[in-house]
Amino acid sequence: MTKRLLFLLFLFSLGTFAQEKSTISGYVKDNSSGEKLLGVNIIIDNSIGTSTNDYGFYSVNIEKGTHQIEISYLGYKTIQKEILIDGNQKIDFSLSEELAELDEIVISSNKTKKKIESTEMSVISLQGETIKKMPAILGEPDVLKSLQLLPGVSSVNEASSGFNVRGGTVDQNLILLDDATIYNASHLFGFFSVFNSDAIKNAKLYKGGIPSTYGGRLSSVLDIKQKEGNVKKFGGNIGIGLISAKALIEGPILKGNNEEAPGSFMLAGRRSYIDLFSFLLEDFKDSSLFFYDFNLKANYDLNKNNRLFLSGYFGRDKFELDGLLGTTWGNTSASLRWTSVLSEKLFLQTSAIFSNYEYNLDNLRTGSEFRWKSSIINYNIKPKLSWFINNNHTLKTGIDVTYYKFKPGKISSLNGSSINEEEFSDKFGLENGLYVDLKQKISNKISLQYGLRWSNFNRLGNEEIRQYETGAPLTYNPEQDIYEENEVIGTTNYSSGDIIKSFNGLEPRLSARYLLNESNSFKLSYNRMYQYLHLISNTTSPTPLDVWSPSGPHIKPQYSDQLALGYFKSFKDGKYDLSLETYYKKLNDVTDFIDGADLLFTEEIETQIAQGNGRSYGLEVQLSKNEGKLTGWLSYTLAKSETKVLGINNNEYYPSNSDQLHELNLVGFYKLNKRWDFGFNFIFGSGRPVTYPTGRYEQNGLVVADYNNRNGNRLPAYHRLDFSATLHPKKGKNGKWVFSLVNVYNRQNAASIYFNEVSEIGDREIATGMTQATKLSFFGIVPSISYEFKF
Amino acid sequence: MKNIFITTAIILTILIFTSCETDVTNDITLEDSDPRLVINGGLERNTITPLTTQRLQLTTTASFLSTGELPFVSDASVTITDGSNSWVFTHSNDGFYENSEIIPELGKTYTITINWNGEIYEGVDSLTEVPQFDNFYFEYEEETLVNDAGYFVKFDTTDPINIPNFYYYRLFKNDEFIIVPDPGTRDVLIVSDEFFDGRQRIGVNPNDEVAFDIGDVGKAQQLSISEPYFDFLTELFTQTGNIGNPIIGNPPPASIRGNLINLSNPNNRALGYFYTVDVEEDTITITEN
Repeated sequence: MTKRLLFLLFLFSLGTFAQEKSTISGYVKDNSSGEKLLGVNIIIDNSIGTSTNDYGFYSVNIEKGTHQIEISYLGYKTIQKEILIDGNQKIDFSLSEELAELDEIVISSNKTKKKIESTEMSVISLQGETIKKMPAILGEPDVLKSLQLLPGVSSVNEASSGFNVRGGTVDQNLILLDDATIYNASHLFGFFSVFNSDAIKNAKLYKGGIPSTYGGRLSSVLDIKQKEGNVKKFGGNIGIGLISAKALIEGPILKGNNEEAPGSFMLAGRRSYIDLFSFLLEDFKDSSLFFYDFNLKANYDLNKNNRLFLSGYFGRDKFELDGLLGTTWGNTSASLRWTSVLSEKLFLQTSAIFSNYEYNLDNLRTGSEFRWKSSIINYNIKPKLSWFINNNHTLKTGIDVTYYKFKPGKISSLNGSSINEEEFSDKFGLENGLYVDLKQKISNKISLQYGLRWSNFNRLGNEEIRQYETGAPLTYNPEQDIYEENEVIGTTNYSSGDIIKSFNGLEPRLSARYLLNESNSFKLSYNRMYQYLHLISNTTSPTPLDVWSPSGPHIKPQYSDQLALGYFKSFKDGKYDLSLETYYKKLNDVTDFIDGADLLFTEEIETQIAQGNGRSYGLEVQLSKNEGKLTGWLSYTLAKSETKVLGINNNEYYPSNSDQLHELNLVGFYKLNKRWDFGFNFIFGSGRPVTYPTGRYEQNGLVVADYNNRNGNRLPAYHRLDFSATLHPKKGKNGKWVFSLVNVYNRQNAASIYFNEVSEIGDREIATGMTQATKLSFFGIVPSISYEFKF
Repeated sequence: MKNIFITTAIILTILIFTSCETDVTNDITLEDSDPRLVINGGLERNTITPLTTQRLQLTTTASFLSTGELPFVSDASVTITDGSNSWVFTHSNDGFYENSEIIPELGKTYTITINWNGEIYEGVDSLTEVPQFDNFYFEYEEETLVNDAGYFVKFDTTDPINIPNFYYYRLFKNDEFIIVPDPGTRDVLIVSDEFFDGRQRIGVNPNDEVAFDIGDVGKAQQLSISEPYFDFLTELFTQTGNIGNPIIGNPPPASIRGNLINLSNPNNRALGYFYTVDVEEDTITITEN
């Protein structure tokens, strides 16, 4: 109690400090489109600094009088201005883009200053424009592929859904698109992500030091914001590439005769068209194979202080092979957000969100046709209040309430086949979060950001829960090294609204920065995270058909602790900067399937999984060049990540699927002249884990492999060089060409090495008794070309 | 089901990319574990063509990429009991152990005891009745994405209601048993009645990878298997059908647990499954209609 009182007194005292000063606040916008800019640096008298929030809003306290103000942002011209302050004032700023005609990228030292001075660490921020400049497979720029060129982010192979952060699994990433959770971020099985790069304004990935405003996943938060649209004029672009065509339109809403409309919208659509060529292949003429997606964002200023946002995403992958199989999967999300400037110091945002991920799987074989349908739906509401107490203190607090409905599976007859319809029972959950986060500048040298999140998860009825003989669904038999299923001794019926099981988690978060001098700083961060949803996958890399399952009586929540330490340095006036981070992450109660688990069409998922622990640690170094004709970065990661689950790998730690000891990335952009610029990247990674057989035997006429250690062997090293070239239009013209060449020296990188029995003699398919090892590579050299037209 | 998905995913990769497979058999060095005992076989009750001799084979494991026969085990003692009677299986040749007196019966549970190398192994399975074919015929089918054109052996069969049933299919072409180690096997050769309990199924194709020509003789067997054996075969066909494509994932390789327990030294596991099955079969000669 006393502690709470002290805290209140402390907050109160913070409030009183501020009274002597005036507050200036407002928005920073893009000059040509009027779109709000987030993360813009605002520095007053070269000493007081702040930056705009996710909605382009800032607030800063200064004494009355004349001040020098500098507004700077990557890719935009810096504004330096003298302002006279005689009381609380609202001042909006507009930044102009650095002219594309400029031969090189110029950076003011203040732009890199943020990297040194902010308490943030283990954070990667990418602008939509940067993503589009990187060489892309088949000319389709992709945020998830771009992120993998940064230290600490990887994927198991080129075609896996999602990504791994610092040794975490794919389901441990919270992916937010305008606040809505995206449950599966992949198109075409992972070759591309669901994010249309045209519609993305900014992507920010937290690998560590995750603030208490976020929760629900163990390893990272990827926060993607969509473009808001131009408030000044209508416009758009059309892009045609090898794999897809896309279009985007944007423009003002209710502009009237004003220079800037009170609102704007952006609508983007994309469709792949590989299937349009399928008629060329006789076998595929009745098949379909494509993905499409739509992005929508609209915002409207109700008045000076209140804005409404509506954003949505709808995407589907569909493919169907005549007479064999059909499948459709995709996400749908919609969010409605209201932001309100309550006063110069108080900013309130409230979002109401709907999100849905579903897939259908149709068996089209004659005689046994059926449809399998599974989905996860959530409704989420999250108000968040930001209080710019004074220049040294910013407080954020909020609640986060999510209601989940899991529909694990429903099987129904297709074309009148003799299938008994069956539906697995729905599962329900309610997740609550309550948090405070305080940014505090203690002195010029020391800044802190710390907070606490209380998370709570309730598994709700209506559901029938099994009771097992010993209380748990499985018992490990150490003698035989197997899990034995326990008898079901009864069931308990919970009716709608009953709490079946409740979990609570306290999640402390802390980031601290110690500034040695203007260009050198040390940072430290710690976070604990809880995760109540589990993506149960019995495959090396997740598939669109994996099932999300909530914690409950038989599945515990997972939690993690991560400690990271970093050193940041900028030199030559911010021309270059260096970051060095080391981390240790401990994962608890992560789920893994038991050997021989069958997860598809399994209702009692708890009988197929075991929970264990993981640990990962590593060192990440990144050297960036921010200015000049040539910009880019060189990064190196040294890392290890391991998992230990009772009953797997003789109960010892084994390398995680994403484990990679060395990873080196070199990414560069070169601006030759007004019309040409180039991008290149080189990737080197040491071999990922693979399991080789330790023996062979026969069963029912087939050769079977026996294995001893999970992930005990390594694939060959991975390396690849990519190039891209962009030809910008002449003055007055609007067409842009992008050429890219991925895997320039045509290396056949191993996506996997597998062992099996040769299954053919000549043209005849049969078990041969002969064995082989085969390396699979996804692609050699891939050239591509795409064209973009702006109007 | 998921494996059909993998197959199609592979077709997809080939469509989009220049996906490529290289034989690296000669570049790989494997570390082998100590040889383990393997059982291959079990008891079969067949009322159509009754077996005069029941036999099963014992071998040990060999290095995966090695060629040649597996090392036979000829010096084990093998006994099978149904709880009241027991039968000794004697070694004939090449690791095969035989007995001509045992007649497998429905509803019985059989236990095998193997004494080898000073260690005792034990395995249990039970025999349940298989439903008959209601109709047995062949049909001509056009070529599809995964199958050749040709005649296919088919049957109709009715699942007994309110009993969990598990089936395994064997197909013989001109008396040769045919099985293909590919991802489709798991979806076709074994099935549980989970979604069709008590129903008649029409046009079941016991192995849609085997097309017949006119003049060929087709024989199909429907086997009633126990649930643990069904689980074993599910994993067996998943692993042997692994064609390594991680595009939508493939199960991490793992040792497949059979039903033999080493009573003397549990860590020295034996591999393979001692099964007891009931067999329904029929034979048809493919003719011009």
